[in-house]
Amino acid sequence: MNRLLSPVVLSLVLVFLIGPFFVIVAASLSAGETLAFPPHGLSLQWMAKVFTIDSFRASFAISLLLAVGGTALALMLGVPAAYALSRYPLPFKEAIRAILSAPIVVPGIIVGLSILRYLVVPFGFSITLALFFAHTALVLPYAVRVVSASLDNLRSDIEEAAVLLGSSRLGAFFRVVVPNIRGGLLAAFILGFVTSFNQVPVSLFLSGPGIQTLPINMLGYMETTYDPSVAALSALLAFLSVGIVFLAERFLGFSRYV
Amino acid sequence: MFHNRSEALILAIPAALFAAVVFLVPVVMLLSEGFHGPAGDWSIGAYTAFFSETLNRTVFLRTLRLGLEVTAAAVVIGYAAALAIVHLPSKGKGRMIGLVVLPLMISPVARTYAWIVILGRTGFVNKALMTLHLIDSPLHLLFSETAVFLGLLQLFLPLMILPLIGALENLPKDAVAAARVLGANWLQVFWKIVLPLTREGLVLGGALVFTGSLTAYITPAILGGSKVLMLETLLYQRVAVSNDFVAASVIAFILIVMSFGANLVLKHLATARSRI
Repeated sequence: MNRLLSPVVLSLVLVFLIGPFFVIVAASLSAGETLAFPPHGLSLQWMAKVFTIDSFRASFAISLLLAVGGTALALMLGVPAAYALSRYPLPFKEAIRAILSAPIVVPGIIVGLSILRYLVVPFGFSITLALFFAHTALVLPYAVRVVSASLDNLRSDIEEAAVLLGSSRLGAFFRVVVPNIRGGLLAAFILGFVTSFNQVPVSLFLSGPGIQTLPINMLGYMETTYDPSVAALSALLAFLSVGIVFLAERFLGFSRYV
Repeated sequence: MFHNRSEALILAIPAALFAAVVFLVPVVMLLSEGFHGPAGDWSIGAYTAFFSETLNRTVFLRTLRLGLEVTAAAVVIGYAAALAIVHLPSKGKGRMIGLVVLPLMISPVARTYAWIVILGRTGFVNKALMTLHLIDSPLHLLFSETAVFLGLLQLFLPLMILPLIGALENLPKDAVAAARVLGANWLQVFWKIVLPLTREGLVLGGALVFTGSLTAYITPAILGGSKVLMLETLLYQRVAVSNDFVAASVIAFILIVMSFGANLVLKHLATARSRI
């Protein structure tokens, strides 16, 4: 492409994609009382204030637990399923694959509402449990997909060799397969964690007294308050995601798996 | 490699059962609510009632329009960006791809909130225009379709650029040069060579951006409010404000049909025989 045009295109696209992130960071460093860009003076007061708001702390803890617990459960369910899909002549293979990837294509708000209406209301599931299951269902397709890709890239004859040499099937899985798909497992965990942690639509209807995920809490807070604390929290969360992705890329080559 | 079917089922059943109980059955039950008549029979009454309301029609058409507009804009910008990126030297290419992926990992709430800072009454755009004395009082930029359009485009543009980069990398290197030598101008090269050969990437990106825009909740909620409702925010209002689960079921079904429909059409376009 044109040598003059392409730097211009790239700069404009970068300003559009990354620029808002700098706007958020700048606005959160404001010394003023209202949201403004460019900020009025510089201070860290809003960054500090974020940590003193009780509802943010509570919902951060819930989001963190959901992201870790939901992704862990999704992997516990998803890894054996991915293994069966890639190594066995599974009956109803395509139907099982479809069911496991379906939560990606159905809008999250519908999943959340359905769980509220048909699991929470009739069976008395607690909101916490419903959130936990909803986030697990959401992460499950990613877990299956990323781990399946890793398994497909791994030659299956090394497991056969382990079994022939006297290892049990389970032993071969844990001592031969798992160490070889370690990268894929970690990538699946990070992808699941980020997906669950940032998720809004699934959790919209699943909130109760004192139980809210962080993004939902932020949505509610910004409706009532027009100060830079949401900007500060957004900036902190963005730094956290960037940090996680940077480390994952550095030590894992994360982008190979996603 | 292993031939034990029951062992395979034992491995796969827990995940499939979980997805069925937590996801499939509740969603199907919710969708079926919209098809029940007053006497418990099958009926499409809820759908005719839904589309007879002007507000619902407006919201439906707006959702479709925004989806198409965002996808179209993403295609144009996506090709320009992807073409520029694939011609970078390999180190720069890797960095640029990283910068395109990065926003996908950041909370959409945070990314959308930035537009409030940019477009708000005391935001960047209004301040700049006031300082330049182009306007006397702040413009109402938020809670408009333009704001939602910008927010959606910012959110989903990477999902168009990334598949296009993949498709362009697989483009035979000599194809463009050959067309140039034979006298084609750049427009002809793009239209007759680049576009047909990168169709699969275009279709994948298009499907992701279009369905993403249709089913986005955060962007219309923050940047559109109740003035610029889209189907998802309408669904939320119907449940949260008026407890109308039948309308919610109707909207849910429309959203699913639109997403699947778009995916089917695009898949068909991707595999249709090229006319060249």
